[in-house]
Amino acid sequence: MHRLYLIPTLLINVVIIFIPAVLTIALAFYRWDGIGMPVFVGLANFRQLLADRVFWMALGNNVIWTAIFLTVPIAMGLLAATMMLVARRGSAFFQVVYFLPMVIATAITARVWQGMIYSPLTGIAGLVTRAGFPVPNPLTQPSTALYGIAVVDLWHWWGFLCVIFFAALRQVPQEQIEAARIEGASFWQMLRYVLLPGIRPTITLMMIMTIIWSFLVFDFVYILTQGGPAFSSEVLSTFAYRSAFYDLAVGKAAAVAVVISLFGLATTAVYIRLQAKEFDQ
Amino acid sequence: MSRLAFAAGKPVSWWYESAAPAQQDAIAKVLIGGFNASHPDYSLSIDYRGSELDKQMRVALLSGNGPDVVYTAGPSYVAPMARAGQLLALDDYAEKLGWNKRILPVFLEMGKYDGKLFAVPKTYETLGLFYNKAVLEKNGWKAPTTIAELEALAEEALKAKLVPFASGNAGWRGNNEHYVTIALNSIAGPENVYKALKGEIPWTAEPFVAAINKLNDWWQKGYFGPDYFSLETEQFFAQMAAGKSPMLPSGTWHFQYIQSYFKDKADQCGFVGFPSADGLGGPVYALGVGSTLSIAAASQNPDGAAAAIDYVFSPEFYSAMNSVWQGEWNTPLVDLSMVKISDEVPALYAETMKTLGDAVAKDQYGYTSWTFLPPATDTQLINGIEEVWLGRSTVADYLAQIDATFQQEKADGKVPAVPAR
Repeated sequence: MHRLYLIPTLLINVVIIFIPAVLTIALAFYRWDGIGMPVFVGLANFRQLLADRVFWMALGNNVIWTAIFLTVPIAMGLLAATMMLVARRGSAFFQVVYFLPMVIATAITARVWQGMIYSPLTGIAGLVTRAGFPVPNPLTQPSTALYGIAVVDLWHWWGFLCVIFFAALRQVPQEQIEAARIEGASFWQMLRYVLLPGIRPTITLMMIMTIIWSFLVFDFVYILTQGGPAFSSEVLSTFAYRSAFYDLAVGKAAAVAVVISLFGLATTAVYIRLQAKEFDQ
Repeated sequence: MSRLAFAAGKPVSWWYESAAPAQQDAIAKVLIGGFNASHPDYSLSIDYRGSELDKQMRVALLSGNGPDVVYTAGPSYVAPMARAGQLLALDDYAEKLGWNKRILPVFLEMGKYDGKLFAVPKTYETLGLFYNKAVLEKNGWKAPTTIAELEALAEEALKAKLVPFASGNAGWRGNNEHYVTIALNSIAGPENVYKALKGEIPWTAEPFVAAINKLNDWWQKGYFGPDYFSLETEQFFAQMAAGKSPMLPSGTWHFQYIQSYFKDKADQCGFVGFPSADGLGGPVYALGVGSTLSIAAASQNPDGAAAAIDYVFSPEFYSAMNSVWQGEWNTPLVDLSMVKISDEVPALYAETMKTLGDAVAKDQYGYTSWTFLPPATDTQLINGIEEVWLGRSTVADYLAQIDATFQQEKADGKVPAVPAR
């Protein structure tokens, strides 16, 4: 009887996740303009992707993006969370400040950075340039566009990680921290030998999620550069979007979606394996 | 549906793209107010769907829903919808309501698929050269009439620390294609573009190489300025109005900004056809259709939708709408003699539209990329030119990619109808 409780969740999952996922995978083997009847083309969409230099540029950008988000915001979040743990005074205030960018809508954050910070006309960059210190808009240079977008995403993202890490750090047994203090551990020794091992599962989970989210990045890229200039900030999701809605190549876009999912699946598999090991121990 | 709506007449729904508050006021007053007052049997409503309208429309029509009046971003969107049976053939309405006589024939041709009419253009447009008369007068310059004069003026502007072309693509990346279209038509020439669209010559042919090389030269010399990728459409128009750029190569839809940015000096804004290369015999008016109107096959009120479209093609509507909003409701009426545009609108607008109308009537026009190229070829044209400008691709590679995509789409039957010259 108790198994009946699974039905609502199962139903929601089948309708919202399973069926669209299966349809997307199936579409990857069809040529379809999103309007007429799909035509089965086997692996043609995937072969087309392998020969498409923009696909490889987008994939490379996703890898760079993952590398950035696996290191910078996690390091910033860990450092700030640890400092809040050590110096408790004002931690509630700083948590709010750090978390604030996370609750601002992505479109607004992106437009604020685009118009009020990066713009050569209306932004701080323009103000500094007019003062005699030329600051180019990073979104307009092929060599810096991706990093310019990453800075905006980092600004909005790292505070979230900080709050998560802070919550985890507060679960580390107080006795261990006190013992380390009595033994005369420095801040870095405390971090290295007590705090980080104490929240390792949280860090692992956040890193796994970061990899998955990195391959899904879309909003900031689309609003700030639409993948340009000259495809320099193209990522897989914007490439898929352009294929589906501008080129009217929905099958090709579905093939890109399958590639994105493969990275997510591989990462999830690693996570489950790590978890299983922890259970065994 | 409320009882009030029924009482007011049978509903007619229309999804529109984004519109500024003043433009929404114009639509409410001139279109909805005017139509509902003259058609008491119907009740027209407009739903603003923003810049993602075409994606929403596609999904809605696919599921058998959507509005009665189907608004697309141009003829290249019509063929796939017509092929999928999502649009109603308009031939009977065109005959009954007299569209065949009222609308310029070339535009009726562009809305056909398999010999049947599926769409009529809401607006037609052309590309040319806006310029700031005050800046030209102050420096003793003249509006250019040849490519050589254009380049000489641009060089003078650079020396005067001005950006020759007010331009940018931060708000709409598609602005790239305005410049490519200008180069293809005004340098390679409309005859060659026509041949390429018909598949008679490849896009890698010498005239196109010369055209894109010239466009690339202009970029490399700094004609488009250092902030091209940072400026939005309104910003670069404002820069031209403020005298920071003498020229602005773009389309007739920019007429709507003249009064906002030139304010009480609207007569200081000039517009000429874009100068053309030697041998082309004067400016080439590249013809574009920015949006089309159709009726959904699943519409519950096709007669009401046809009545709404018919209203848009009336001289009264043309007069009232173009008096408050220029450039976006330039319906291709054969006879403009009944049109009376407000005296407050710069005469330049009416003159330009008349010049364009005459050029179209005499089959002297070019082809805009967004109207005549199939979708993937057009996105390749838009994105690839940035690679050329930024040194990440060669002109030859760029044109080869356009040609390969075009030939594939042509084989798939995706090239929009191209009226015979």
